[in-house]
Amino acid sequence: MTYSIIARCPRTDRLGIGITTYSIAVGGRSEGIRANAGICKTQAFTNRANDPIAVDLLAQGYTPDYVMRALAENDSDHEYRQIAILDRDGNAAAHTGSGTRSWSGHRIGDGFVAFGNVLAGAQVVEAIADGFAFDPAAPLEFRLLAALEAGRDAGGQVGGEGHLTERSAAIRVVAHPDYPDIDVRVDLHPQALTELRRVLQEFKLYEVFYRERGRKPREAITQDEFVARLEKTRAEGRV
Amino acid sequence: MTFTVIGHCPRTGRLGIGIATFSITVGMYCNGVKSRTGVTISQAFVNQSNNALVLRLLEQGFSPEAVMAQLAANDPDHEYRQIGIIDRDGRAVGYTGPKTRGWSGHKVGPGYVACGNGLVGSHVVEAIADGFMAEPDADLEHRLLLGIEAGRAAGGQGTKQRGKTERSAALVVYSRYTYADIDLRVDLHESAIEELRRIWLEYKKFEDFYRDRSRNPRTAVPQEVFAARLRAAAEATP
Repeated sequence: MTYSIIARCPRTDRLGIGITTYSIAVGGRSEGIRANAGICKTQAFTNRANDPIAVDLLAQGYTPDYVMRALAENDSDHEYRQIAILDRDGNAAAHTGSGTRSWSGHRIGDGFVAFGNVLAGAQVVEAIADGFAFDPAAPLEFRLLAALEAGRDAGGQVGGEGHLTERSAAIRVVAHPDYPDIDVRVDLHPQALTELRRVLQEFKLYEVFYRERGRKPREAITQDEFVARLEKTRAEGRV
Repeated sequence: MTFTVIGHCPRTGRLGIGIATFSITVGMYCNGVKSRTGVTISQAFVNQSNNALVLRLLEQGFSPEAVMAQLAANDPDHEYRQIGIIDRDGRAVGYTGPKTRGWSGHKVGPGYVACGNGLVGSHVVEAIADGFMAEPDADLEHRLLLGIEAGRAAGGQGTKQRGKTERSAALVVYSRYTYADIDLRVDLHESAIEELRRIWLEYKKFEDFYRDRSRNPRTAVPQEVFAARLRAAAEATP
């Protein structure tokens, strides 16, 4: 009962994760992304040790296929895991263990992996891939969000009684620095993806301000002033 | 306009951050925690490169004081930053640059740094420290949350004339693993600290379940079954 996408932006080399699930605070279990190294996301019966190991191996130069074999050999319950790995060049590997709950599966595309478990069906993963491909010129964070939204609209995850609501969601994108470019989360909400869009859109309005005030504090206006300008712009309908 | 406590648990060696602010998605800046290494926060006019640098230096064995001196030497705008650093032994150091805005300051105590800027006064930082020290035997995440809740109750951010709401908050704790024990966030909410407590209380009900299903997938029940049991247990409790 989770669906995700990991991807590389071919224009900018940025790497990103988009994920949503019924479980609480899924973003707190999505640390497997590192600039200039790659991404690993383990889900289903998550082995939390996997993602840090995989990213360390990617940073050392191992291929995603090799890293996946290393994870398999390191885990007696590998068949219960769902794992996707992407390196900095967009090479991918994926594994959906036979012990994950159906419907579960993945699709490897050009520079991305769409995957999920306890879903309404294979069409969810196809929709995630289509959602990601829909606007290739958009910033990676919005492509990831569009992918998750398409997965939800195709039926998303299921529980005992049909569609299971998404309670948490996260998008994380790294560029070349060793801190995230985008890192937005919803940890517990009845419509986590809808809320995630709200948070991301609001964050994008502040993104440059937050970055620049840290880099050029001598020139920074106060946040009060920034917010006043932003709300004026919003009131004029220009946001 | 941020208030924070970073702490080290002397019983368990766990390390963590509790933080709340008017800015949105503050949890994004809480990447300065590493198991058995240390914890750091950079705030006010954030130098986002600091956290990764601090953790690498602590890992090499530099003391928090030496690390802070290196940050100062590395940053022409150091006087705009507010920084706390604690190492794996609980040695703590704080710095509040003279160019940070509003009332700003920090308090360093045994295994903690309480710090804030754009606050209504020094009593906020005192309250955070008191909150953190109120239950020294409790779990670190509980102590961190008590710290920022006490800071808010003492007036939190803003000026004496006008307070300011917390729109985002985060709670992060590492023990001995390469991943977080607790990593909870509220990114955009009109009362972020209350919402953080709500999420934490809900998360605690699932915490052992999430851990055990990963370690013992062959015997794990589905989450919807576990959630139904939780609801049934709650209904059975008068």
